Amino acid sequence: MRWIMALYLTYLAAPIVLLLVGSFGESWTNSLLPSGITDRWYLEIWADGTFRRAFSTSLIVCAATCVASVLIAVPFAYAIHRAASRKVRAAVRLLYLLPVAAPPLVLGFGFILVFSSEDLPFLGASWLLIAGHVVLALPYLMQVLVADIRHLDLDTLEAAAESLGAGFAARFFHIVLPSLRHSLVAGVIMVAAFSIGEFQLTNLIAGFLTRTYPVVLLQAFYGATGFACAGTMVLLVLAVLGATGSAVAGRVAAA
Amino acid sequence: MSIAVETLSYRYGPGAGGIDGISLTIGPGEFCAVIGPSGCGKSTLLKLIAGFLEPASGTIHLAGEPMAGRPPRARDLGVVFQNYALFPHMSAIDNVAYPLKLRGTAKAERRRLAGEALERAGLGGFGARLPAALSGGQQQRVALARALVFKPRALLLDEPLSALDAAHRAAMRDEIRAVQRANNIATLHVTHDQEEALSIADKVAVLRDGRLLQVATPAELYDRPADRFVAGFVGAANLFDGIVRGDRVETAIGLLACDTRNHADGARVTACFRPEAFKREALGPNQFAGEVARDRFLGSMRRLDFAVPGGTLLAETAWRGEVAVLSLPPEAIRLIPSA
Repeated sequence: MRWIMALYLTYLAAPIVLLLVGSFGESWTNSLLPSGITDRWYLEIWADGTFRRAFSTSLIVCAATCVASVLIAVPFAYAIHRAASRKVRAAVRLLYLLPVAAPPLVLGFGFILVFSSEDLPFLGASWLLIAGHVVLALPYLMQVLVADIRHLDLDTLEAAAESLGAGFAARFFHIVLPSLRHSLVAGVIMVAAFSIGEFQLTNLIAGFLTRTYPVVLLQAFYGATGFACAGTMVLLVLAVLGATGSAVAGRVAAA
Repeated sequence: MSIAVETLSYRYGPGAGGIDGISLTIGPGEFCAVIGPSGCGKSTLLKLIAGFLEPASGTIHLAGEPMAGRPPRARDLGVVFQNYALFPHMSAIDNVAYPLKLRGTAKAERRRLAGEALERAGLGGFGARLPAALSGGQQQRVALARALVFKPRALLLDEPLSALDAAHRAAMRDEIRAVQRANNIATLHVTHDQEEALSIADKVAVLRDGRLLQVATPAELYDRPADRFVAGFVGAANLFDGIVRGDRVETAIGLLACDTRNHADGARVTACFRPEAFKREALGPNQFAGEVARDRFLGSMRRLDFAVPGGTLLAETAWRGEVAVLSLPPEAIRLIPSA
C-alpha cells in the first residue's frame, strides 16, 4: 500500500517539480535537466502587460463566477428539493447535469453563433465570459448541494423550525443556509478551480482584452522553455489563490 | 389550554390512508396517548393538529381558538419529533433559545431563559455543546426544553422515545411526564408502544384504519376494552369466540362460567381474559387441565402457553413449580359483542 501511494504521489508531483526546476533554468534543450539558474523568466512575465492583465482578469472572472454560481445554485438546489414530485426532481437533475456531458466546444460554438449576430453583438464582453463559466461550473456546485440537502433531512429540521414559529425567510437564513455551509464551501472551491483552469470555452468566446490567464499562457508555449515553465507556475499560484480565496470567502459568508 | 378536535378527516389520496371523523378532547394539563398499529393514522392526526396538513373536514381548537387556515408557525405548539430535529449547527442553548429569538425576545433575556430551561432539564453544563456531542437522552431533553420554553398552548410528542434504547426509555417516560405536569400543559403523545402509552398517559386513544376505536383511562382500556381489536392490541389477551348459553358461554375450550347479564341468550360474543387472571389452584367452575407447551421465564413471572383440549391459553404466573391445572374466576372474563 505504502509503495503504491509513494509511486502515485511521485507521479503527481514529478511534472510540477520539473516545471519548477525549468522555470528557474537558464536554458533547457535536449537535456534531462536545464543548465544555469536565473529569475529572468519570472521578471519577463511580470514585465509583460498581457500576462499581468490576464492574471487579474482570471481572478475577477473567477470571483464573479463564484458569486453568481452561489446566487443561482442555492435557491435552485432548494427548489429542486422542494419540488413536489419525484419525477420533476429527476428531470431537473438530469437537466442541470447536461453541461457536464456536452463538450465546452459545443457550447462555445453556440455562444459564437448567437452572440456575434447583429441583434446580440456581445461576444467578447466579460459578462458573457462569466456567464459561460457559470453555465459550465454550476453542475458541480449543484451536485454537491443537492446531495447534501438530501442527506441532511432538511424537511424535518424545517418542520421543527416552523413549529417553533419560523416563517420562510427565517427558516432559509437560520436553518437552510447554515446547514449547507460545508457543502457550499466545498462546491465553491470546485467552481473556483474550474473557472481558473477553463480554457476550451474561454479561448473561443473571450475578447482580446478579456482573455484569461490560461488562454494567454498558450502563447508562451511557442517561446522559450523557461518562459513557458514560469508561466505555468504562475497559473498554479493563481489556482491556489482562487481556491483559498473562495474557501475563505465562503466560510466568512456562511458564518 | 386544551386541544379539541372534532369530526376531523383527512385522506392522502383515494384509497390511501388518512383519518376518518375523529373527535378527541384533551383538557388543560391532561396527557393523552394515541396508539395504534403503523398506518392507523396517529401521525396524521398529529400533523393535522400541528398544521403540517390541512384537514378535509372537521375542526381543531387550541385553547379555544379555531386553527383553520393557520400555518404551523402561528399555532404556538411545542412539537417534539421522533429524531428530536435539533438544529445541528446550533449549540444546545441556541436551539432552546431559537423560538424566543423568533418571538423577538432580547438576546440577554432569551439566553437567560434558555439557560434556565437547560438547567431544569439537568443539562446546565451542556449549553455550549452541539447536538452531535450529546447523547440520545440529552438530545431528547434539549428538544423537550426547546418545545416548552416559549410557553406553547399545547405539547405534541411524535414517538419521542422510539430512538432511545430500552434502558433509557423507561426513565425518559417518567421524566417527560414530570416535565408535562410541571408545565401543566395539554399533551398529545403519539406512540406505537402500548406499554409506554399505558404507563404515561391520563387517557389513551386507540386508532385503527383512521378510526377512533376507544378513548379511556389506561385501566379502563385494559379492563374493559370496547372491542376485540382493542383487547388484543392493548396488553396480552386470551380471545375466544363463543355463543351465550344461559349463564355460560360456549367456546372451543368448553363452557365458560361468567357474567352474561348484558348479553342475550344465543348472542355471538368474544370471551376476553387476561393472562394474569389465572389461578394455579383448582377453584370455581372454570378449570382447565392441560400441559405447558411453552414456558418463558421473564424474571418476575413466567408466561406460559398452556395447551388444553380445543385451544391454547396464555397464562402468567409467579409460581416456579409444575403447572397441571389452571382455573379462571368468572369475574375475570369479559364478554365483547361480536361485530
